[in-house]
Amino acid sequence: MKQKHLQHLFLRAGFGIGFSELNELRDLSKRRVVDRLFLASRHPDPLRIDLSELEKEIQMYQDNRKLPDRKKMQELNKKHRLKIRELNYAWIDTLCHTNTVLNEKMTLFWANVFVCRDNNAIHFQHYNNTLREHALGNFRDFVKAVAREPSMSKYLNNRQNVKESPNENFARELMELFTLGIGNYTEQDIKEAARAFTGWSFKGNGDFFLRKFKHDYGVKTFLGKTGQFNGDDIIDTILEQKQCARFICEKVYRYFVNPVIDRDRVEELTDIFYASYDIEDLMRQIFSSDWFYHDENIGVKIKSPIELLVGINTIVPMVFQNKKQLYYLQKMMGQVLLYPVNVAGWKGDKTWIDSNTLMFRMKLPSLLLNNAVINLEEKGEFEDTFANYYRQKKTNRFLKVTSDWDSFNRQYGGLKPNELKRLLLVSKTDEDTESLVSNLKVASNRDFCIQLMSLPEYQLC
Amino acid sequence: MKRREFIKNSMLASGMFYVPSFVKAFEQTTQQTLGPKKLVIIQLSGGNDGLNTVIPYTNDVYYRNRPDISIRQNVLLRLNDELGFNINLAPLKELYDQGYVTIINNVGYPNPNRSHFRSTDIWHTASGPNEYLNSGWLGRYIDTYGKMPYAGIELDDSLSLIMKGEHINGIATKNPKILFRNAHTPYFKKILNYQTDEHLSEHNLGYLYKTMIEARSSASYIYETSRTFSSRLSYPDNPFGNQLKTTAEFINSNLSTAVYYISMGGFDTHNNQVNRQGRLLKMYSESIAIFVEDLKQNNTFKDTLILTFSEFGRRVKENAASGTDHGTANSVFLIGDKLKAPGFYNESPNMLRLDDNGDLIYTVDFRSIYASILGDWLHVDDETILNKSFPKLDVLG
Repeated sequence: MKQKHLQHLFLRAGFGIGFSELNELRDLSKRRVVDRLFLASRHPDPLRIDLSELEKEIQMYQDNRKLPDRKKMQELNKKHRLKIRELNYAWIDTLCHTNTVLNEKMTLFWANVFVCRDNNAIHFQHYNNTLREHALGNFRDFVKAVAREPSMSKYLNNRQNVKESPNENFARELMELFTLGIGNYTEQDIKEAARAFTGWSFKGNGDFFLRKFKHDYGVKTFLGKTGQFNGDDIIDTILEQKQCARFICEKVYRYFVNPVIDRDRVEELTDIFYASYDIEDLMRQIFSSDWFYHDENIGVKIKSPIELLVGINTIVPMVFQNKKQLYYLQKMMGQVLLYPVNVAGWKGDKTWIDSNTLMFRMKLPSLLLNNAVINLEEKGEFEDTFANYYRQKKTNRFLKVTSDWDSFNRQYGGLKPNELKRLLLVSKTDEDTESLVSNLKVASNRDFCIQLMSLPEYQLC
Repeated sequence: MKRREFIKNSMLASGMFYVPSFVKAFEQTTQQTLGPKKLVIIQLSGGNDGLNTVIPYTNDVYYRNRPDISIRQNVLLRLNDELGFNINLAPLKELYDQGYVTIINNVGYPNPNRSHFRSTDIWHTASGPNEYLNSGWLGRYIDTYGKMPYAGIELDDSLSLIMKGEHINGIATKNPKILFRNAHTPYFKKILNYQTDEHLSEHNLGYLYKTMIEARSSASYIYETSRTFSSRLSYPDNPFGNQLKTTAEFINSNLSTAVYYISMGGFDTHNNQVNRQGRLLKMYSESIAIFVEDLKQNNTFKDTLILTFSEFGRRVKENAASGTDHGTANSVFLIGDKLKAPGFYNESPNMLRLDDNGDLIYTVDFRSIYASILGDWLHVDDETILNKSFPKLDVLG
């Protein structure tokens, strides 16, 4: 495979590619490379942090059939909050070091399709692993699994959805944001679908459970079909609509191929996806196609903050001494994993960029790798007291990051400036940028690397 | 001096002299057409308890629901026969007595959402409860009328949704000097010095370069202009006071920015509410009073309108921790010199008719307030910005 195409593939299917790996793959055919990519993602490990203390505590309350009092509840909630933060750091760590990179990239993608938030670390870790488990699996099983997740059940009020007074929130978002898109169903379809999901709940241990007395067993008419539908029937009926396959293919196309949709290509993909709803088939089709590697698709997508951060780590491995600073970086750039802005998720691409985020993103390499001074503060949280909301972080003037320059030098130390440039920038560089780059003073490849990463072109993948 | 020349001159003064011609050309085609009116929006973040802010002191239901945290009749500032300010709002009461304050009660929206995030989203984007917009209403105003990021400034280090447009966004800064320094690193300068206009026509790369240029020139403009004025009044020494002081310096230095947004944190009072909220309201009102004084001394108060809102009010019934939980409708304050209806705009909250959660039911859609401000204060087409027509309130103009 051509170097440029390998770089493109790994930026989209992962977070970029290091020089040694590139050299390993250079001589292989596209088919072999794509096969290897999928093979490597065959058995993803779940993401697990230590939740034993929380689990024990909750078990105790369940055994005693007692609810914690208000104070205990507050303490418990605080522990959950800290654990979710820890899960955030662990997720980023996984993104940086995973062997199942395609599956992780897909998980990140699905987390922004099946958008969810939860204050319960146990449920939310489970949710995250459900995304990971189905990321390259069958879309039908995936939707049915997500619909049964406690986190989703709470987030979109499906637990409050009962026969006597159906709550439409889940049914609405299922169609609007997860499967069909607005305009492809009626308000009446939402009402009927909500009835089919009544009584869907979960047990103390998080297992799905149908509250039979709260479930509406009556006849429903949904998307033109009539029957005694339950939730799974509704999902099956949704998937019968070709629009569902199209809706997902559009999202996949925008995320993995090009932020600007090519109708014909999306229709091609829709036909394939609709036949089986097999996500791996769909992705294999994309990465094996010729058009995926056309110039018009290379280096035209604006990296998400996480792609930017993890991408830098692909070239210069880093260790964060102070994990809280990982949170700071995510907040300043507008993407905090596990804390999506709303159920519609991050819009992505251009919306990552405003004057403030762009300046910050261009300074990020210096902050991470060159000890640049932090002079901006992240916003406080809604739940904060006044003092915490505005807390000055005077003590954190620098990022406490250990960067592995030895590793960098082993791979990149001997490269010519132009070779390093080619490795770091995939987007089009015009004459002006070429002349800027060739006029930069290159004291060392280390400095040159930071300079290249600070160019607007580096924001693209 | 015409604004266009003024901007050009201040660019020259800021060392933008070396800027490549394409950057200058770009800046000059995007001169803006904003009027003289200013809007300052303050969000009491976390959900301010409206019922202990504007207290229905003759209402038994209020006292019955809040045995622990209700404000007694003898420790409040009476505004009329039914309602009084929290005692910590004394400076605001003085403004009220001078006819500078309109209070709109029961402001909210249908199917209220009790999540801070979602409800803030709704207030910021002016969306319906089931609608997800990616731009804020001030952002869309900047898009349509402002043309450059500095048309809207958030007093913070990162930008909120309220200031994000479809094509152009506002800019965030609580310290213009730092903003300037970050936008004018030698490396940034070098990058732009090498550019002709090639990139501007390209899709995303062009957008990045365009944003970079706008960021740089907005940072220069804000810094160079605002440093010509330094406030002589002493503001309360806290972060909110500082945000307002900086805003006054922006306005009084004739920065052509039209809209400002400040988020004041700390109002999520689930426990020990009385003291916590009291301290916050004191900080809020003391700072506002100095801010108004500062504007008055510089003859800019007549052109400035201050809107204070919170993403939601709080539950009528207190909780077991001497606090309150997330609620719905709330009071909104308008502060300005040119108010048409100073005092109370509408009826007091109805505590006998609550929703299933025991929360107030809104009677004024918040977007009606936005429509009034856009149409009657900023004199622009409110329907364009709000994507819909809302009945205006007769409060301004």
